Amino acid sequence: MKQNYKSVKMALLFMLLPFFVFAQNEITGTVQDDNGVPIPFANVIEQGTRNGVTTDFDGKFIISVDNLPATLEFSSLGFTTVSQQITDTSPVLIVLSESLESLDEVIVTGLATSIKRSNSANAVASISAEQISGTTPAPTLDGALYGKFAGAIVNSNSGAPGGGLSVKLRGATSITGNTQPLYIIDGVYVSNASIPAGLNAVSGAAAGGSASNQDNPTNRIADLNPYDIENIEILKGASAAAIYGSRAAAGVVVITTKRGKAGETKYNFSQSIGATSILNSLGQRTYTEQRVEDSFGVAAVADFTAARDAGRLVDYEDEIYGENGFISNTNFSASGGTENTRMYAGISHNNEEGIVARTGYEKTSLRLNIDHKATDYFKISFSTNYINSISNRGFFNNDNTGTTIGVSLTGVTPYFDLFPDANGVYPDNPNGSSNPLQTRDRATNKETVNRFIAGTTINLDIYKAEKSNLELVARGGIDYFGQQSRAIFPKDLQFQRPENGGVNGASIQGNSQYKGYNLAAFLVHNYLPNDTWSFRTQAGLTNEFFRLSTELVVATGLIASETNVDQAANVGIDQTRNFQEDSGFFVQEEINYKDQFIGTLGLRGDKSSLNGDPDEFFYFPKASLAVNFNKFGFWNDDSIWNQFKFRIAYGEAGNLPPVGATFTSYDAFSTGGLLGLSLNGVLGNSDINFERQKELEFGTDVSFFDGKLSFSGTYYIKTIDDLILSAAIEPSTGFTTEVVNAGSLRNNGVELAVNATPFSNENFRWDTGINFFKNTSEVTELGVDPFNIGAFGATLGTFRIEEGSSATQIVGIGPNPGANGFQLHGDAEPDFQIAFNNSISYKNFDLSFLWQWKQGGDNVNLTALLTDLNGTSHDFDDVDLDPSGQLGNGPYRLSQLGSSAEVFVEDASYLRLREVGLYYNFTPTLLKGILGGRIDGLRLGFSGTNLINIFDYNSYDPEVSNFGGNSIFTGVEVTPFPSSKRFLFHLAVDF
Amino acid sequence: MKKIVNNIYVFLALLVVTTACDVQEFDDLNGPEVTGFEQGITRGDLQDLVGGIFYSTRDRLGTYLDDCGVLGREYWRFSSSDPRFTGDLLGGGNAVLDNNTFYITGPWGSRYRTVKNANLILGFLDNAVGTGEFSDAEISATRGFLRTFIAYELLLNLNLTDEGGIRLDVVDEDNLGPFVSKTEALQGIRSMLEQAITDLNQGSDFPFPLTGGFTGFDTPDTFVQATNAIAARVAAYQNDSSGVLTFLNNSFLNLNVGDLNTGIYHVFGADPTDFLNPMFFPITATTAGARVMQPSFLTDGETGDIRLNKVQQRSEPLTLDDLTGDYLVFLYNSNIDPIAIIRNEELILLYAEANITVNPIEAVNALNIVRNSASLGDYMGATDEASLVDEMLNQRRYSLYAEGHRWVDMRRYGRLNELPIDRPEDDVFSQFPIPLTENQ
Repeated sequence: MKQNYKSVKMALLFMLLPFFVFAQNEITGTVQDDNGVPIPFANVIEQGTRNGVTTDFDGKFIISVDNLPATLEFSSLGFTTVSQQITDTSPVLIVLSESLESLDEVIVTGLATSIKRSNSANAVASISAEQISGTTPAPTLDGALYGKFAGAIVNSNSGAPGGGLSVKLRGATSITGNTQPLYIIDGVYVSNASIPAGLNAVSGAAAGGSASNQDNPTNRIADLNPYDIENIEILKGASAAAIYGSRAAAGVVVITTKRGKAGETKYNFSQSIGATSILNSLGQRTYTEQRVEDSFGVAAVADFTAARDAGRLVDYEDEIYGENGFISNTNFSASGGTENTRMYAGISHNNEEGIVARTGYEKTSLRLNIDHKATDYFKISFSTNYINSISNRGFFNNDNTGTTIGVSLTGVTPYFDLFPDANGVYPDNPNGSSNPLQTRDRATNKETVNRFIAGTTINLDIYKAEKSNLELVARGGIDYFGQQSRAIFPKDLQFQRPENGGVNGASIQGNSQYKGYNLAAFLVHNYLPNDTWSFRTQAGLTNEFFRLSTELVVATGLIASETNVDQAANVGIDQTRNFQEDSGFFVQEEINYKDQFIGTLGLRGDKSSLNGDPDEFFYFPKASLAVNFNKFGFWNDDSIWNQFKFRIAYGEAGNLPPVGATFTSYDAFSTGGLLGLSLNGVLGNSDINFERQKELEFGTDVSFFDGKLSFSGTYYIKTIDDLILSAAIEPSTGFTTEVVNAGSLRNNGVELAVNATPFSNENFRWDTGINFFKNTSEVTELGVDPFNIGAFGATLGTFRIEEGSSATQIVGIGPNPGANGFQLHGDAEPDFQIAFNNSISYKNFDLSFLWQWKQGGDNVNLTALLTDLNGTSHDFDDVDLDPSGQLGNGPYRLSQLGSSAEVFVEDASYLRLREVGLYYNFTPTLLKGILGGRIDGLRLGFSGTNLINIFDYNSYDPEVSNFGGNSIFTGVEVTPFPSSKRFLFHLAVDF
Repeated sequence: MKKIVNNIYVFLALLVVTTACDVQEFDDLNGPEVTGFEQGITRGDLQDLVGGIFYSTRDRLGTYLDDCGVLGREYWRFSSSDPRFTGDLLGGGNAVLDNNTFYITGPWGSRYRTVKNANLILGFLDNAVGTGEFSDAEISATRGFLRTFIAYELLLNLNLTDEGGIRLDVVDEDNLGPFVSKTEALQGIRSMLEQAITDLNQGSDFPFPLTGGFTGFDTPDTFVQATNAIAARVAAYQNDSSGVLTFLNNSFLNLNVGDLNTGIYHVFGADPTDFLNPMFFPITATTAGARVMQPSFLTDGETGDIRLNKVQQRSEPLTLDDLTGDYLVFLYNSNIDPIAIIRNEELILLYAEANITVNPIEAVNALNIVRNSASLGDYMGATDEASLVDEMLNQRRYSLYAEGHRWVDMRRYGRLNELPIDRPEDDVFSQFPIPLTENQ
């Protein structure tokens, strides 16, 4: 039956074909690259019209034109565009040169439209599939962004498997509001929430006066499979992101997934296996009898000598962090379809173990993308993605109960015996409340996520004529996930046993349901009155709704070995619901004069339920101009100048107030069984509104020698007005904070990029690129009193917001305080960042590597202090901190405690070989004999992440954040899960 | 022409915009809002709101008691994850007390939180007068209860900042009263308590339940005895002996050997929305969290004093930050044992203190009640004022060990310099700085 249907279709096609042939002039031809390799899917467009086709797998095309001669424009991503006048219907051969600058790739400028990069007035970063997973596949999507473009600080919060990264674009965008970009995948707004697992109930981390979440959960963008991604575009600031309005101040990451390609179904299978190990272990203090006696008292000396003489000294750092985690990534994808209906299907399974036993990350992702062209004027496309991910995060970071693995390890000396006996009973840690081996082996901290993301786009050509057309684009998307967290602390844990002050086991289980949907409709009108002018007008409506409900159950006093929360003596439930609805409109006009001047004007209007007045519209304008000097005819076609563009863009965008900022509310508690309501400490502000970012960026893009050398430079000035501040108010009011709009912040930054192809011939090609990024911030106005924020107070180093200073300055007590009473000890902002990327291919070998250098930027490192207090620091007896050369580092740091925070603020510079990959591609001739020539490509390789790391920072890794990534006050370290490096072997087959 | 047609489309689109962009407004989905009570409260509401007072009065109580206990050199607080307990609080090295660190900001903010909770209820009650929901006597009783707590919470904050003073008038968060001197603050707190006594005396039964910590003090007639007891403590801080005796006369003072623990208490629970007793650490506690006795507590003690059982010896000594000890504070047997707000043992000692100048013999009698209760013989020393003050302070040291008194007592008698120093560079601080965020 299927066969018959196919035949009917073929017959119909043959019947139709002659009709076209007779009616029009049919031009045929082939599009190739410099080496004579056909370029599939290249665009062939009749200039000045919307008539266009794409080439097939062999680079061949057939296009019908009304009149001859006609000018055809040939373009393909990664190649220079060629225009050629065709005078007759004889076959043509078109050669496109590879373009390093990808001048002709398109980038997003409107919610429904895109523009050629060469005409863009913004420095929009674009990252291809090759850059995302070509060198070495990152475990999570955000992990693939390191060093790939100028203007971002990507920072890992901990080394725990399964993510926990923050991406910050162009400096400090908010003091207390969201600083993470908005993620949009195939038109669907996706959540990047980090939902804490409630570990605070055991760790008590927030009890020390620091209310921030220190649970270090995964951020949900980690769910996306990097292999599915075709392209990522990063709108770094308001000048580009204004069209996204009130949620775009931290930038927008627009992700496009792979779509099916018409033709024979193509399959790709790839398998990577490898291992992960600790990036940098600290080592142990070198103990001697005298040192043991000094630090732990006379009684401990006998324990030490006995263990030493019996050869029982244990390196517990190695015991805990010394695992080599196994990594396996499997991907399979299929792409194919007809001209009318195309599909891409992908399935992947990742399994990564951590460097601590019983930690790991496992993810399964299924994707199905379908594009259907129902008629010439109606297209519909679907994207669907199901993800199941499980992460075992371990129990790390700050605590106030001495229970996390990291904190308890600080009190462990090598002569302790913490291993279980023959019956599996763990001895208590004599110098801490937790035996870290027992906690590792017995406690569980697991997040399970089931997520479904689906989006639909409909394109309807309402009206089409020679010089103008009108298109309707409608888009809907839904992002739904259920996240379960299970943190189980069995009753036999040292700190859970009642005789040790424990609560006899704790089972903390969270259940979160998230649903976000977004709807949008746009009308796009193109008007091309003549060859010199073109106008594009668009207008649309958007509506977004987000709903997150989390129930967290804390059960203590577990019955027997049960973990169900009802099998417990005490059960507490906390439910949190966050609902938000935003609505807005968007209009934009683009004017293009001969590709010489390209101007854009746009306006977005937004309302949000999070504002003090949800019915008030807020407006976000944008305007930009690009001038292509190379189109003015100064240079002829053989000139070395390919592009010389000047661009300037201005835009505004917003950042919404935090949920609940408008309310003065109570929380419910109990006292010996009696229920009660107590204020939650936040004074509501019914006047709270967006904070508004205004960004002006300008720069130039220049390229020479057919794009073999290019330079791009951008300078931006970004101000944030009506800063949303969680202002500390006088605690005698009974409240501790009020969310207010008070202040302004300015960021100035430079982004420079040079790309070059110094060598390129048949056998050898070298592509290199370097990008540089520097940002400085300043609080220019502050409507509230200066305040300290983040970290753990001035004794240990804290951030401070005050007028005229950097937004990320780190101050503390010290011998030379400034006028504000604090000494300036550092700044979290790096001096600059440089990434150096190289890709070399020789015959069948591909080598690529990426170096990343972050210079400056300080952390507050408290890990060393905690080990000092316990006399276990690896550098306790080294003498290189004390200016007088008297004290060992441990005693010196302790001597500074309470008098100066300087020693806790450390330079977090690093130089890393972030990615390296070496691959061998089998030539088609070699593969011919295998499976009857069915195999199109075979690639074998090796890759690594973070293989070389150079830093002076006194801990596992300067890239760390105890408080997660959602604020600008991040580089604070308290016994984190150490970072790791990865090695992978790869096999990929195309067939 | 076509352009005009298309412009009409754009116009139509804009028209839709203006009508289709409404967003939903949400109330606070996660907790009751203050505004919800302003229009009037029911008996059930009042019960919940008062329940919050019992809750928040315990918030950061452990930090307050550690502040007093460590500065008063009763014990050292070990916390391997927070160095400031053995650094800042003991003045180790060059350390001084910071004005933006948890040891002051935590308890200070929590006490004022209770004050605000109570002031809001007083406001809601004003709106409830005449609505028939509560009788006037019930409202009066509730006011007396709330004012007692406001005064008590303010007193604890004043104990921390001492000469730095506190804000007395904090009813309107947008228009806070000034910081007042210690003298003025004590007078204000006393007036508040006197007002509470008047309110309670006009009250009928409380229209809300009290926790088990108030057994025997759960009606206005009996609760007022506790209010008088707190007022007696305030009068003692004011050096007003006759005031102390007057208040004690109306309190639950019982001058009998053995009855030391009658009083009002904070209670605790293992329910996750409740607090555990923050002063409980097991005898197996480690440097992760322990209260290690300052050695002079035992060396200065009299043989046979059963109060020396308030510390217990650990199997091995604990060492942190150059401090080593093997006796741990062991005042409570479990993590849900109650902690006293004020109890008879303190009242007997306040009675003794007030009588030192007025009636030294009665003072000695009172001290002997305490001594005999601790299995010690009668006081045999001199009965001049200085000797009796020495003895009174010594009995307070052992009777009220780790209950937040020693530091305050030594300060009011100008004897902080007599407290032991454990490490060469340690300092004994006399008061905490006013929190930074008070903008003083």
